[in-house]
Parts: sequence; C-alpha cells; structure tokens
Amino acid sequence: MLSVFLMMAGIALPLLASNDEGDKLMGVWEPSNGRARVKVEKVANKYYGKIVWLKEPNDPQTGLPKLDKNNPDDKLRTVPLKGYRLLKDFTYAGNGEWKGGTIYDPENGNTYNCIIKMKDDNTLDIRGYIGLSAFGRTDVWKRLQINKK
Amino acid sequence: MIFKFSLSFLLVLCTVNIFAQTDTTQQEEDYSQYENAGFADSGTKRYCTSKILDMSPQKLITVGYDYQGTATLDAASFAKAPGSVLSFPAQSLRIRSAQGLRLGANVPVISRNSGIFQLGFNYAETRYDIENSGKHPMGTWLNNYGLRTVGLQATLFKPLNEKQFFLAQAQADLNGDYTWNHTQTLKYLRYSGTLIYGWKKHDRLMYGFGLSRTYRVGDLNYIPVVLYNYTAPSRKWGVETVFPARLQVKRIFNTRSILSWGHELEGQSYRLNNSGAVNMGYDNLELRRGELRIRFMYERSLYRFIWLSVQSGLRYNWSYDVDHLPNGKEFFRGFFGKQPFVMENELSNTWYTQISINLVSP
Repeated sequence: MLSVFLMMAGIALPLLASNDEGDKLMGVWEPSNGRARVKVEKVANKYYGKIVWLKEPNDPQTGLPKLDKNNPDDKLRTVPLKGYRLLKDFTYAGNGEWKGGTIYDPENGNTYNCIIKMKDDNTLDIRGYIGLSAFGRTDVWKRLQINKK
Repeated sequence: MIFKFSLSFLLVLCTVNIFAQTDTTQQEEDYSQYENAGFADSGTKRYCTSKILDMSPQKLITVGYDYQGTATLDAASFAKAPGSVLSFPAQSLRIRSAQGLRLGANVPVISRNSGIFQLGFNYAETRYDIENSGKHPMGTWLNNYGLRTVGLQATLFKPLNEKQFFLAQAQADLNGDYTWNHTQTLKYLRYSGTLIYGWKKHDRLMYGFGLSRTYRVGDLNYIPVVLYNYTAPSRKWGVETVFPARLQVKRIFNTRSILSWGHELEGQSYRLNNSGAVNMGYDNLELRRGELRIRFMYERSLYRFIWLSVQSGLRYNWSYDVDHLPNGKEFFRGFFGKQPFVMENELSNTWYTQISINLVSP
C-alpha cells in the first residue's frame, strides 16, 4: 500500500509543482508605458491577461469609456477596453517561460506572437514578435500590489 | 489509513484542477479595486518610454527604390593635380535619371524599461544614366560606377525617470563610387552622431535639444538639433521632427494609414575614383552631396505588419561640390569656413519618388 501511495505521490507532486510555478504569472502587472494594468488569470490550464485599469479610461473625443476601436474586426470595435483580454492562450513551458500565446496591442489593433519570461518574481519580459522572435520588441512589465481600500 | 490519506490527496489534486477550469473572466469584477496599486518590488522605478501615441511605425526591415528625374550637372573645371596648371575642362552633363535600391534594418538588441539599444544597417545606391558622360571625370565616375553607401547605426534611448531622457545615435558609413570589383577601404569611413537631452511631458508630447555631427549637408558639420514629437488630442494630427534633419506634419487617418508632408536633409561625403578610371594627381577626392527633399509621404499597412511607404516631391540640391582630402583626413568647414573646393558643381533640382515595403516593429 505504501508503494502505491509513493507512486501516486511521485506522479502528482511534480504536476503540482509545475502548476505552482506556472501560476507565478498570475497577478496584476503594469506594462512599461504605465498606461494600463493587466490582470493575469488561469483558465483551463492556460493563462490570460485582461485590462483592469486604464490611465485614460475614457475616450477624449466621446467622453465615454474607451472601446477597442482599432480592432481589425468591425464587430469587435464596440467592445470596452476595460476587461479586454490582450494576453491569450499561454501555457507554462518550464524555466520561467510561458509560450504559445499572443498579445494584442489595442493602440494599433495588431496581434503578435508572444513569449513571456519571468526575470524575477516581480518582473516579466514580454516579447511580442512577428514570425521569428528576432523581429520583435521586448517590453518589461512589473508586478503590482493592490492596496486594499 | 494510508489508503484514506492517498485518496484524500487525490481529491485535493482533483479539486485544484476543477478550480483551474473556472473562467474567472466571466464574473463581473469591481475594477475600482485596481486603482490603488503600487509596485510589488518597492525598488522599482517608472521610466518614460521612447514613443508617443500614434507615432509613425518603426521600421525593422525596409526594401525600397528611389528614382530621381532628369537634371543637369554643370561639372566645374578643375586642376589635374593639386597646384597643376593642367585642368579637366568644365562640362554640362545631362542626367536622364538617378535611381537605386534602398535597404535598411533596425533591430532592438536590448529592450528594458531603463534603456533601449538598437542596431541598424543601411544600404543605398544611386545609379546615374548620363546622356553625355563624355570627358569630364564626374561623368565617368557617376555614369560608370554610381554612388553607394553602406552603413551601420547604433541608437540608445536612456530614460532617467518618468519625464527626462537621453537619446544618442552613432553611425559609420562607407560612401563612394566603389563596386564589388573596386572596393573602398574602411579608412574612408565617415562617422556621424547625435546626442539629445529631452523631456516627455505626456503620452502625446516629447521634445529635446541636442547637437549633431552630420554629413547631411554634404561636408562635415556640427549643428544644434531639436527633437519634437507631438500628437494632437484629437489624435488626427501630429508632428515628428529632428530639426533640421527632417520634419513631417502628419494627418493620421487611423493607426494603419498616415499622410505626411515635410522635408528630409539627405547627404554624405562620397569618395570618388575608387576604380582608378581617371588618371589624376589626387589620392582622395570626395563628393560632398547634400540635398533637401521636400515631400509628401503616404504610409499604410498592407497586411498586418507589412507597410507600404510612398513619398514624392522635390529634390533640391544643397551641395554637389568636391573636396580634396589627402589620405582621407577629414576637416571642418562648417557654414562659414573659407577652405576652397576642388570643384564647385551646380546640380539642377528635380522631382523624385521613393517607394518601399517595410516590416514594422510591434
């Protein structure tokens, strides 16, 4: 019986450890331009990041909450930016890297391939690229701590 | 006992996975809780970024072609050797066209919030089609060999805090009438650079002041420069300039379509007679080519990150004179220097068009 337990534990513990490591991505992050805050969550073993705060929440022209007006898909141009998922479909690949996902830039409506690398617990290198990783740009995101009201 | 424990362990594991399936984004969320936040790492500093909203896209790779229309080059008479009484006679050369490939690459090598370092490469050629290339050496050099530039650039953007930054650029160019068969040594590299200290007032305005060592007016010069990048609150209009090198006033139709008008100073110092085709007594003659391009430019995204850029306008000649630089040693004339040119040529103005396909940066 002990051997069965040890076998199960042997399978389960690395899985748990792997999930725990991947979950380090979860939290609220600020891109380098400071214009937004992004909350990373886990859904069905994949990681997603949505906009939860905007420095300029309202469109200066309309005075209404900003919409995703640069989206190449006409139907999505009325979707509010707050709550919009700009990081999608990331899976943890080990060694502090999340791969297989995309990042969306609401400023121009482009979606890029993306690799996320955790430099330390509070710093992410977000590399958006086009086809090859060499054709890209790295933005550094910093983890935020939400202060309770 | 052990069985019960392992069962409960599995249940815990299953529970973790069940929770992981929940789509939390479907729940209504109180976004106001994210307003009051600070960096988790108390040592973290905020820095200004190198861009403002709606700036023209940064080009990672450029493949272009430049075409200039007909023009007349009045090539001056000049001595066959320094101090010689024998000279090449003056000649008016009729240029049917001047055209050539333009290639460029500019890739961020280091990209941190506290600094961005980019390396670039550029290649530009101008092939001349001269109706009467005749006897004047300028006709021989330009018509048979054309002009080429191969250059490397390094750019550093260094923010000091959320408002202030340094921008530095250094460039080394090999310019001349060289070809694969008649190469030019690196001894004739020409170096230029710019250093700017600036302020980023907000997401739509950054400006700065600095000094540039430049060949944009043909010969070496040191000039003050002003950086000014601004996008109007409507986000329909904007200005981008590093004056006097270039200025563009933009009409932003949307983030994928921009019309602009303005100017660019374009120039270099080109070593002539790399082929040795003209027998003369100078070891190193350099064409000080500087031109002002007054232009309209339209840029639009063709497909996602592939952008088309078309510009057209007047190519106004600033300088097409020739200096003798013994052993390639550069000197400074500036706007007020009295050092004489070996040749003081006159190149008429003409129209030009340039078209390029670009891969733009995320």
